[in-house]
Amino acid sequence: MIRTIAISFLIVVALMALAPVRYERQFRDSPNAAPSKQFPLGTDDLGRDRLSRLIYGTRVSLLLATAAAVLSCLGAALLGGAAGFGIADGIILATADLFLSLPWLFLLLIVRAFLPLNVSPMLSVTITFLLLGALGWAAPAKVVRAAVRKLRGSDFILQARAAGCAPSRLLWKHLIPNAMPILWAQLFITIPAYVLAETTLGMLGLGVMEPLPSWGNLLRELGGGAIHPWQFAPVLLLAAVVGSFQVIFEREDYSV
Amino acid sequence: MLRHLARIAVLVLASGVACALLVRYAPGTMVDERELDRRLSEENIRELRSNKADVLGNFKRYLVGLTKGDLGYSQSNNAPIAALIADRAPETLREIGIGLLGGWAIGLALAIRRTWAVSAGMGLLLSLPTALIAYLCVMKGAKSSLVLVIVLAPKIFHFAGNVLAQAYTALHVEMARARGVGEARILVSHVFPAISPQLLALAAASVSMAIGAAIPVEAICDVPGLGRLAWNAAMARDLPLLVNLTMIVAVATTMATTVTAAISER
Repeated sequence: MIRTIAISFLIVVALMALAPVRYERQFRDSPNAAPSKQFPLGTDDLGRDRLSRLIYGTRVSLLLATAAAVLSCLGAALLGGAAGFGIADGIILATADLFLSLPWLFLLLIVRAFLPLNVSPMLSVTITFLLLGALGWAAPAKVVRAAVRKLRGSDFILQARAAGCAPSRLLWKHLIPNAMPILWAQLFITIPAYVLAETTLGMLGLGVMEPLPSWGNLLRELGGGAIHPWQFAPVLLLAAVVGSFQVIFEREDYSV
Repeated sequence: MLRHLARIAVLVLASGVACALLVRYAPGTMVDERELDRRLSEENIRELRSNKADVLGNFKRYLVGLTKGDLGYSQSNNAPIAALIADRAPETLREIGIGLLGGWAIGLALAIRRTWAVSAGMGLLLSLPTALIAYLCVMKGAKSSLVLVIVLAPKIFHFAGNVLAQAYTALHVEMARARGVGEARILVSHVFPAISPQLLALAAASVSMAIGAAIPVEAICDVPGLGRLAWNAAMARDLPLLVNLTMIVAVATTMATTVTAAISER
């Protein structure tokens, strides 16, 4: 029941995020306006509608996190799968250990700080997406490697090999379909982690740049000046979305 | 034992080299304001550039200096790195120590007495980024060490709660219950021994989590610790300082992982 509610909520949020809004439009006569019929969540310092920015920010953050998670999982599938097959196993494992020897947040913040900071909003989105995708492959790759190794030794694979099944058929018909649930699980575990990572980067001024909104730079507003209750709307939405992912995927059993 | 030590050494050195290469090839690294000084000759400027470009040479010199206790000099802070680290480390160690102790005490206690409301509350905290928790704590005037407790407790609660729930379904635990053994004794004598390897692994992971969370917490709460030092070093592209800090973090996390792995193997 609760999982159905969480899935429905995520679908509603995803659809809502697609609504056409003008996040950059300024109402110069109404800066810092309180919630009203015209502006349900009020306006910011520059007179921009907070609700429009929240809707567009949701689109940016969710799309960015999903795209980065897909990139990470593709990297994990390729590298973890190759290592599971014994191809460059030692090198891939050592590289993954190197990535995992530093806390992920430390690595992410340090690497992002080295990239150009004053960039256009679209470039900042691309940098954040590539960074999250490129740095997050190690942990899923280890899971995929373990799964592929386990699958390789399983009875049905041995039977298929004994029956003369070609390696390419073995890969496409037997290994990949059986490894897919693990990859899906990794993808949906990674998305909320990347949502939170983007938010942390954005709050420290290293994520998506203004005027493009994202949950990270919307929450950055909480860092200074007088805070009004309606400014917490992004916090509630963020917590609800990440919480929904946790509810959906917490009890799933993806063991091979 | 030797294999573990060798692994730590290789990982730490590799982290240092990777960090040095990252700084060297980061956009804008070769731009140095000192080059604008009119008193510098062409030769001086060339020397400045070649010093920066020779990453492996610099790293080798750094390692030789390390054997003599010299960690190098921080240009951005205009101070010896050993002194900077000695000055900032106690604050970070205190923060991380309080965070880990508090996080484990609260997380484990709540995991043992797990209720729906507690799970929901912890799930909510788990859904918030570290930086936001730090912001909210600063707004409420809470101490920075409390932020790490709030960040770590839900993670420990989540993992430990799952492990405990699984352990309570074991046959020997049900048998002990059927024989009328008290809950406290079941926990201490039957559940904890069974889940100690997982808890040790979680202990190692929590050290890594605490170090990772220390950077945004110290940056937002303005704590003069190693996290803030690392943040400033990254912003100022201070290569010697950043290599040292990366290696310290790598030593701390790999040591934690290796020690707990060695204990659980026994």
